[in-house]
Amino acid sequence: MLRWAATLGILGLIALVLALPATSIGRRGTEAASRVDAPTPALALGRPLPELDLVGLDGAPLKLADLRGHRVLLTFERSVDW
Amino acid sequence: MAATSYRVLCGVLGAALLLGGFGLFASFFGYHAPASESPIPTGPVGYYWVATSGCAFVAWGGCLLAASRRPEGGRAAGTWSALGLVMLALIRMVAWIVGDYYVWPGELARTESVVFLLLALAFVWLRPAPTDMRPANVALEQA
Repeated sequence: MLRWAATLGILGLIALVLALPATSIGRRGTEAASRVDAPTPALALGRPLPELDLVGLDGAPLKLADLRGHRVLLTFERSVDW
Repeated sequence: MAATSYRVLCGVLGAALLLGGFGLFASFFGYHAPASESPIPTGPVGYYWVATSGCAFVAWGGCLLAASRRPEGGRAAGTWSALGLVMLALIRMVAWIVGDYYVWPGELARTESVVFLLLALAFVWLRPAPTDMRPANVALEQA
């Protein structure tokens, strides 16, 4: 009985692993394939940043141009639902 | 036939775990050797756990080699090895889904996951049947 339960569980996991690329949860793996640290021309060293349209923590719109003349530190973080 | 297959399975996996375990154990000292280059993309904390895993692999491999020599007394080794292999497969499944590891092992995680699950299945089915482990004189008295 236990042997059959273990077998069914393992076969289910094998089916899940094989089906992963076709499922929505498996798409992250495929997405990640393109996440190679390739240089992005728009963000190359020594070139100005492209214009950014952002929303501040207070909800107000924020553009990179609004920060002109100030020292700006940009950090990029992984969001919760990444 | 099943007993022979179980012995081969335990022997091959046990030897592989012993070799891999000693390799992981040695990698810790290699990492801390002067002017060494890290073959695994991780740092001091990573190597601490890599070496710890290596020690556990040596112990696991030794148990499997013992089970391959005396399969009738090594049924539990197969049971717990199947569980360990399923856990290893689960780690790889999640690693593949999360994607953080894709750049390093690529599709290897998913392939390993399937291989480990098939090995677990083999352990489940090739384990020897439960045997009477009572001492012979006690078994005779109770018979």
